[in-house]
Amino acid sequence: MSGVIHWAEEVGDDWARVRAELTRAFEVSRASAQAEESLVYVVRQDDLLGRRGPGNAMVATGLLSAARTAALEGARKGWTANVVAFDEGAEREAVHAWAQRLLDSGDVTGELVHLGPGHVGKTLA
Amino acid sequence: MNGVVVVTGAARGIGRAIAEKLAGTGPITVVGVDIAPELALSEHITPIQVDLTSVEGPALVRETVKAAGAPLIGLVNNAGITRDARLVNMSDDHFAQVLEVNLGATYRLSAELAPLMSDGGSIVNIASRAYLGNFGQFNYSMSKGGVVGLTRALSLSLAPAIRVNAIAPGLISSEMSLAIPEEIRDKMVASIPLARMGTPEEIANTVWFLLTPLSSYITGEVIVVGGGRSLS
Repeated sequence: MSGVIHWAEEVGDDWARVRAELTRAFEVSRASAQAEESLVYVVRQDDLLGRRGPGNAMVATGLLSAARTAALEGARKGWTANVVAFDEGAEREAVHAWAQRLLDSGDVTGELVHLGPGHVGKTLA
Repeated sequence: MNGVVVVTGAARGIGRAIAEKLAGTGPITVVGVDIAPELALSEHITPIQVDLTSVEGPALVRETVKAAGAPLIGLVNNAGITRDARLVNMSDDHFAQVLEVNLGATYRLSAELAPLMSDGGSIVNIASRAYLGNFGQFNYSMSKGGVVGLTRALSLSLAPAIRVNAIAPGLISSEMSLAIPEEIRDKMVASIPLARMGTPEEIANTVWFLLTPLSSYITGEVIVVGGGRSLS
């Protein structure tokens, strides 16, 4: 199944860069929704927990919430939205493969898939 | 509790209830952001009107806090707006406005005021249950999700001196929720296990809990105040 895999970029702690990254994600997501194509955001597990500063945290958790809302809207049209969160040291190809698997499934939506054990024992995202 | 607490979006709804709750508790000076001087709610509330999305806005709040002459013990980032639409129809402007007010202003004001805050201080960010996803609110949901991440990051960087937590209100009786068409609102209420909308005072009570030593071992958390809606 076709779709978009959107990797969150590093933004540091400058608000202008956070805003630009979230705006880029919005534009990609809107285009994907208009084309009725599925969507996967890729973020770092550490950023969901706020461990690498506020900028990257705002982007990661913002994308997770956006995916959940997009999933609700896409369900009516048959497209999906999900998030893959990876631990430090994960191989990009492996992460991409999981994102592609979510695009291909067509059944899973609104989910956060953790790659690696970094989330275990931590807060619910 | 003795000192200054800043509350944004304090002119109405949840923010007003928070400001009134704090002002009624004794030796707290509330800096109520967004309150016009003629609408000052109490002698314990210092009204200030600034644009928190501007570069100057947070700095003006900082100067007002300094002028109050007491330690800054709390910040409640409550100001927020909605501009709802399905993602396919959402405009660039409505996306940008919601992101800037709900997330950008929260970040900038927190960064401006945290250095002033005394040990034992507490920041409370008003997120929304929409961070779990809500149809027609891609911008709002993303912004409030960002607030959750900001809360976590600040809770780590400001510990152990300052605690940072978030509240995620569900459907609360306020101007924002009353703007929802009645038929839709009734359906939403019907899906809430506690069978009613929450009140601004119930959010204010949770803010009070998070601002005071009652919650002295809690930081980096999100408390959902939604009548059980997250389960139904």
